[in-house]
Amino acid sequence: MTEEMKVAVERKPQGAVLYTKGYINNVGGEEIANRAYELMDDGVRTLLLNLRETKIVNSIGISILIEIIEKMMDKSGKIAFCCLTPVIHKTFQIMGLANYASIYESEEAAVKELGL
Amino acid sequence: MTTTAERQMELTLPMVPDIEIAAARAVGNMARELGMSSERIDEMMHAVIEACINAREHSGCADNRIYLRFVGTSQGDGSRVDIWVADHGRGFDPEEARSRRAVPGTVHKRGRGLQLIESHMDEVDITTSNGGTTIHMVKYEKKS
Repeated sequence: MTEEMKVAVERKPQGAVLYTKGYINNVGGEEIANRAYELMDDGVRTLLLNLRETKIVNSIGISILIEIIEKMMDKSGKIAFCCLTPVIHKTFQIMGLANYASIYESEEAAVKELGL
Repeated sequence: MTTTAERQMELTLPMVPDIEIAAARAVGNMARELGMSSERIDEMMHAVIEACINAREHSGCADNRIYLRFVGTSQGDGSRVDIWVADHGRGFDPEEARSRRAVPGTVHKRGRGLQLIESHMDEVDITTSNGGTTIHMVKYEKKS
């Protein structure tokens, strides 16, 4: 049984939005990380992850998201999330992500606040 | 007189990647039949996923199997789902696992599965020895 992760990228004038679809586990997390690191290498310093089509995350996937946040912080950039389900939002708070990355209800609100 | 509906399910699953999704979907379907809210079902599914991952990643069991049992009951005042996730591995020290937790709000990359389970469920009881581990979890929903 596999739950393939699909990641789409939309470049914005001041950064990028990553759209995830599927289960964020070790494989899904690595897929997101690869795309995020490509963007960072390309100079992106503001990255929004839209998780509208992700309904399940696990602790291994979250550990990879934390690594992405740390790498972006090392580059003085910022990462934010939007469109989380209530349980994913709660999970992010338990894991401490909410202290290091902003969380927005909608992409519109995030884009406006981040200046993307 | 209060009517009680009960559903039971037992699964034995191989320890292969993403098998936790099958377990989570099974218990999610049962809870939906009992009329539980989607938010509480999602919390329960995430807890089952973490329990299965713990078994797969850390149990070191020889039979490479995860044993699950779900019991759902529905009464006039609400519903309850009991979940047992068991393995025949080497066991672990729950207190040691809990001690690895960071100060609330700080980021720690690994070892947080048990914390997620305990946060997402209403009751959690762990029985563990060098013959295996059973995590018994309960989720309630009272009708408002």
